[in-house]
Amino acid sequence: MSYLRRLPKFEYLAARSIDETCDLLAAHSNEVRLLAGGTDLLLQMRRREACPAYIIGLKGIAELSGVTTLADGGLAIGAATTIQAVMSSPVVREKYGVLAEAAAGIGGPELRNVATIGGNLAGALPCADLPPALITLGAQVSLRSRNGERVVPVEDLFPQFGMTVARPDELLTTIQLPSVPSCSGGAYLKFHDRQSMDLTTVGVSALVTWDAASRTFRDVKIALASSAPVPLRARKAETLLRGRAFAEDALEEAALAVCDEADPRTSWRATRQFRFELLKSLTKRAIRGARQKAAPTIGDLS
Amino acid sequence: MKHLLPIALRINGERHDLLVPPWRTLLEVLREHLGLTGAKRSCQEGQCGTCTVLIDGKAVNSCLYLAVEAQGMEIQTIEGLAKGGVLDQIQKSFVQKGGVQCGFCTPGFVLATKSLLNDNPNPSEDEIRVAMVGHLCRCTGYVQIIEAIQDAASQLKHVGGS
Repeated sequence: MSYLRRLPKFEYLAARSIDETCDLLAAHSNEVRLLAGGTDLLLQMRRREACPAYIIGLKGIAELSGVTTLADGGLAIGAATTIQAVMSSPVVREKYGVLAEAAAGIGGPELRNVATIGGNLAGALPCADLPPALITLGAQVSLRSRNGERVVPVEDLFPQFGMTVARPDELLTTIQLPSVPSCSGGAYLKFHDRQSMDLTTVGVSALVTWDAASRTFRDVKIALASSAPVPLRARKAETLLRGRAFAEDALEEAALAVCDEADPRTSWRATRQFRFELLKSLTKRAIRGARQKAAPTIGDLS
Repeated sequence: MKHLLPIALRINGERHDLLVPPWRTLLEVLREHLGLTGAKRSCQEGQCGTCTVLIDGKAVNSCLYLAVEAQGMEIQTIEGLAKGGVLDQIQKSFVQKGGVQCGFCTPGFVLATKSLLNDNPNPSEDEIRVAMVGHLCRCTGYVQIIEAIQDAASQLKHVGGS
């Protein structure tokens, strides 16, 4: 811990539209940072981990925030939508509960009122809570530059620690969520020290689609926070559960498969071994919770 | 590099025209340019809540908010809460219930309470605790603070809410 300094000097550019932001990015691409909520970037600047010559402020761009239902039943969330707006959106709470759960666990109201969903992704930190939830929901992001737009699945957004595949001239504009299959439920569980306001030690997101006729898992998606250098999808565990009945041995095998794919680090927050223990129990609990929501009428194992 | 930007901030209903560098936070401008020292500088990273102010009625950490970005919005600080020398009900409840000891965290708690009761006039104890997670108090152990918030909610309900 060191004393946090005042912000380093920079020139502030207030963007009014997505197009104007793309022009500004193209003009200053290597010495510029985008400022949405700022709860991560301003801290990095206080610590002198980032000292950009230019800051493009995104708070004035109305078209970057809001939650919109799409014609195909999916959802589009503007990148500068605050975490608070995401968690309190009725459609997110009703149809994408796992995202609302992950959002509600971030910081406190003061941070959630300014921090944004796009910032939680663009920061590319393994401890971020929204990437695992969005990965299990099959979300994609739009990246816009002067040369056009491309769509990238959240799962493929993080090539390595602290990085996204976005080029320096690209702006993350929206997050698109496909409609969720019927008989699906999700859960996001995390462990953190203060029970709030602290970075996630380990987080597990699970989305279960239940087959009522055969009483088996039709589909399972699992993604992890703080369990590898990047937000990680646990495909082995997903494959293992598909078509299986809901039983203790299936959960146990899935938990071990998750640990097999994860590569957590030892830090002052927790050792690698402790994170594996957390992964085992959180994976089982997240799958149980997700299945319970997918098929509430069927009881738990016990 | 332009070092000074002309900005206009609306604070506690009053307009202030200032020249500030873009790298000044709202907290720095409140305390150092305007002498509004009710919002406190402490952790500087959004953990402690002592710098809380309301922007358009929502509680935010002013240490993580650029002053230049607070233009065009209604900023409320603890200095603007008492009207005509009469304390706001939330402040009265904090005094009556012993929710204030050293007082350093109090402006943040009071404004967070204001924001909470705006959205939810009748919060449960759990809802109060969840809403206050971003505030640290090293004196009271939180019990009297929770009681003060409950008291404020019930007093405001008696007068018909506001």
